[in-house]
Amino acid sequence: MKQTRREFLKANVAAATAATVGIPLTQAQAGAADVERDWQWDKGVCRFCGTGCGIMIATKDGRIMATKGDPDAPVNRGLNCIKGYFNAKIMYGKDRLTQPLLRMTNGKFDKKGKFQPVSWERAFDEMEKHCKAALKELGPTGVAIFGSGQYTIHEGYAAAKFMKAGLRSNNIDPNARHCMASAVAAFIQTFGIDEPAGNYDDIEHTDTAVLWGANMTEMHPILWARIANRRLTHDKMRIINLTTLKNMPSELADMTIVFKPSTDLAIQNYIAREIIKRDAVDHDFVKKHCVFATGPYDIGYGMRSTDAKAFPEEKDILAKQKRVKLDKYEAIAQRRKEGEVVEQKNAKSAGKHWMISFEDFKKGVEPYTLDFVAELAKGDVDESLDDFKKKLKTLADYYCDQNRKIVSYWTMGFNQHQRGTWVNEQCYMNHLLLGKQCKPGNGAFSLTGQPSACGTAREVGTFAHRLPADLVVFKKKHRDLAEKIWKLPARTVNPKVGSHIVKIMRDLEDGKIKFAWVQVNNAFQATPNANHWIKAAREMDNFIVCADGYPGISAKVADLILPAAMIFEKWGAYGNAERRTQAWRQQVAPPGQAMGDTWHILEFSKRFKLKDVWGEQKVPGLKAEGFEDGKLPSVLDEAKKMGYDPEQTLYEVLFATPENKKKYPWPAPKELTKGHPNHIAEALGDGWFPEHALWEEYASFGRGHGHDLADFKRYYDDDVRGLRWPVVNGKETLWRFNAKYDPYVKNGDFEFYGPALKALPSGDLDKITNKEKTKLTGKAKIFFRPYAAPVEQPDNNYPFWLVTGRVLEHWHSGTMTRRVPELNRAVPEALVFMHPEDAKRIGVNRHDVVEVASRRGKVKVRVETQGRNHPSKGVVFVPWFDESVFINKVTLDATCPISKQSDFKKCAVRITKV
Amino acid sequence: MNLSGIVVAAFPGKVDACVERLNALPGVEVHNVDHDMNRIVVVQEAETVAAEVEGLKAIKALPDVTFAEMVYHYFAEDEQFVQEIPEDLDAMTGLPQQQVCVPEYLQD
Repeated sequence: MKQTRREFLKANVAAATAATVGIPLTQAQAGAADVERDWQWDKGVCRFCGTGCGIMIATKDGRIMATKGDPDAPVNRGLNCIKGYFNAKIMYGKDRLTQPLLRMTNGKFDKKGKFQPVSWERAFDEMEKHCKAALKELGPTGVAIFGSGQYTIHEGYAAAKFMKAGLRSNNIDPNARHCMASAVAAFIQTFGIDEPAGNYDDIEHTDTAVLWGANMTEMHPILWARIANRRLTHDKMRIINLTTLKNMPSELADMTIVFKPSTDLAIQNYIAREIIKRDAVDHDFVKKHCVFATGPYDIGYGMRSTDAKAFPEEKDILAKQKRVKLDKYEAIAQRRKEGEVVEQKNAKSAGKHWMISFEDFKKGVEPYTLDFVAELAKGDVDESLDDFKKKLKTLADYYCDQNRKIVSYWTMGFNQHQRGTWVNEQCYMNHLLLGKQCKPGNGAFSLTGQPSACGTAREVGTFAHRLPADLVVFKKKHRDLAEKIWKLPARTVNPKVGSHIVKIMRDLEDGKIKFAWVQVNNAFQATPNANHWIKAAREMDNFIVCADGYPGISAKVADLILPAAMIFEKWGAYGNAERRTQAWRQQVAPPGQAMGDTWHILEFSKRFKLKDVWGEQKVPGLKAEGFEDGKLPSVLDEAKKMGYDPEQTLYEVLFATPENKKKYPWPAPKELTKGHPNHIAEALGDGWFPEHALWEEYASFGRGHGHDLADFKRYYDDDVRGLRWPVVNGKETLWRFNAKYDPYVKNGDFEFYGPALKALPSGDLDKITNKEKTKLTGKAKIFFRPYAAPVEQPDNNYPFWLVTGRVLEHWHSGTMTRRVPELNRAVPEALVFMHPEDAKRIGVNRHDVVEVASRRGKVKVRVETQGRNHPSKGVVFVPWFDESVFINKVTLDATCPISKQSDFKKCAVRITKV
Repeated sequence: MNLSGIVVAAFPGKVDACVERLNALPGVEVHNVDHDMNRIVVVQEAETVAAEVEGLKAIKALPDVTFAEMVYHYFAEDEQFVQEIPEDLDAMTGLPQQQVCVPEYLQD
């Protein structure tokens, strides 16, 4: 029987699929002709979530022919979720940006004008003019970059170096601030070093997966597939889903615990109390490797301390930044009296902490009895208190069982939290108490939302306070090291921490920043309380540049749009949630005039001479040793002594150095490129390979300091599918701090060698009593952190909790996934998921349009009472991908005061029928 | 023509029931069945990306399916995909005017 072309193709697709996941081929498949024979396959990485799935890409004549899950990738073992499919599709959406666009009237820039195509030359001319004007008027704090957890490692490094070494500004902060900052702060405070101890292999070693506010079914489907597989093949395996609304993981979970927003803080302390009460503490582990600690409770909510720019309705909540009246539960949880008014004195010193005794720690968790926590935390009014108590007890049983391995997973549920750092730390608290940390199958594991939140935003240090490899700008020793590697005169790097992402927005509103550049993210859609920031961008005297592949809200509010190359149109590398660095080559050319962000940065750096930026600079509020006059000194004389000429550009001094040109030539050897082009190196045209040069310089920061990366070429070898850092002597590190796996452990079986914040004063639960610092080298901290109520809670005017999040098929702010033709029809617009009885009570039916309003803004949205999310009564859920349902106009810009990460998971709203 | 290879995992003992349910879905063909691993390979043909996504969600929602994920995507003869690749990449123009105007909902 003759096969049709279609049948033939389908048979081939089936055969390729079966082969990829290790399923035996049928006889017919084995004998079939190969449609792939003249394709070139190369390895790549998915550009969407933080899982880091390997993707194989087939090209022919500069076109993508097919993609498949990489069978050799240990992360995904041949599988790809729906987002994997978009990696190729996203490059050719209908409104792909392909030319620079400037707002103009009659051929001249006009902030109120319409977007018109301009040349790259013109685009950079305009940027240069506005950036230099802002620098002249306001100094280095007058300019900012919105960076990204989707930057490739090279892009992030180039951007950070351009800002910190070139413009001497620390105003670069990534959207990862909205996503990972609480995880980072907790890692640094607990372990003294950022990033997780464990890795994905824990899934195949463990007996229990506990999801804390992480909808892994939709958000991390490939890791979920591994967990599901473990559940089916390992009898002991159990899955527990802790969540504020019943969602998809509940379908496979053995138990779902629905809790009220922020009461995860109380549940964690209940578990700690049980661990102690049942004497499940691993005393030997705790004694040898841990100390106990706590910090102040009166830390505010990361909101503005003034209401000068606030809308009238916002002022009551904003007032709580200064003083808070404790409710009944907070009073018990914090050992105080109900109704007590607490001045928030430590709003600016929220991160300080001190050592306490184990006895004090026990006193701290004592109020968290089952009765107290169950009454406070029960999130489903239709569930009986007894049933809820039974669940909490079972949860504690799982943690306390010494014969049961357990992994706790979380993402935004913990991180986007007004006490995000605390709740992350509480998770380590329980794992450390039990000695169930940094061992195969045992550990607390922070999942990431973006492909290089770990690898770029954090390791490269594209934050307002960071330098590469966990270094920080406010420490002289760290600046000295950066200046040495960057070959800068002493005191070039600005010691004052820059503005975090929400503060960059607030600074735009206050006129303190007048030039801002959005790179690889959609800051104006992604930041809560968005009405303020959109207005600031459009109505204040400033210049906003947005580089993107597609126009999102940030492009629409910008003054200049730069078309950016996407994923496989450039060379790149990402670092995923398990510390795995994976690299790819350029596969296809970017369309039109689109260019990679690295090129944008390098080209723009040609516009600045040393004399423009390395002279004396004012920095408001600068106080640091060596900067007594409150200014950044001129380093031009020192620069001359080092052989630099003030007329040289930042491009020549920071990037295209003679050394880089010599050591990292382009064209590069064929063994490395395999014939793949590099549009950035070719456009620069001066014979060097920027990604290779940036990589090696960046890697020199971390080698020997627990952040070791292999050399650039190693990641492109055929036998490598990413390597988990630190990579020491060519070998990756599986479990950090565990002597069996981690070469950095020098003393004993475990050593928490992270160097940050390892000398502390001591005190009791409420205060420091002995200022003298004790060294705690090699130890981790077990924090006591209390329950604190959310700053805004439902009341008569705004009776519903609003929780925001994502759905499976849209990622990031939807700028890419929503541009894929017709995908909008799959999820035509974001919905508000609500309980059917709530809908009935306010007189609306499924699919009716309602208005969701908070003190800050409102949106219209369609009601869904069925489907994948099932909120309890009193809770509603709205995904945030849809710019036409711009839910961040409604959300609250409270942040964790320690991490400065915004809380998108809880605010109070009113819902009315339209 | 949008062609995807999808691997479906069934609960142990429910592989055949899943095969039957999968074959009943529009555009879905079962090609390989592995009873040892409880895995099934299907090929899904869909007219549009939206249909592709909806189809995968329908597979995931079937009883006794523990997970279903895409593995392989064939683009070479996906007319929609090919049409969207501009003949002359440099000839692609920027945004049409009406699309770059600040939408009214941003102005309030």
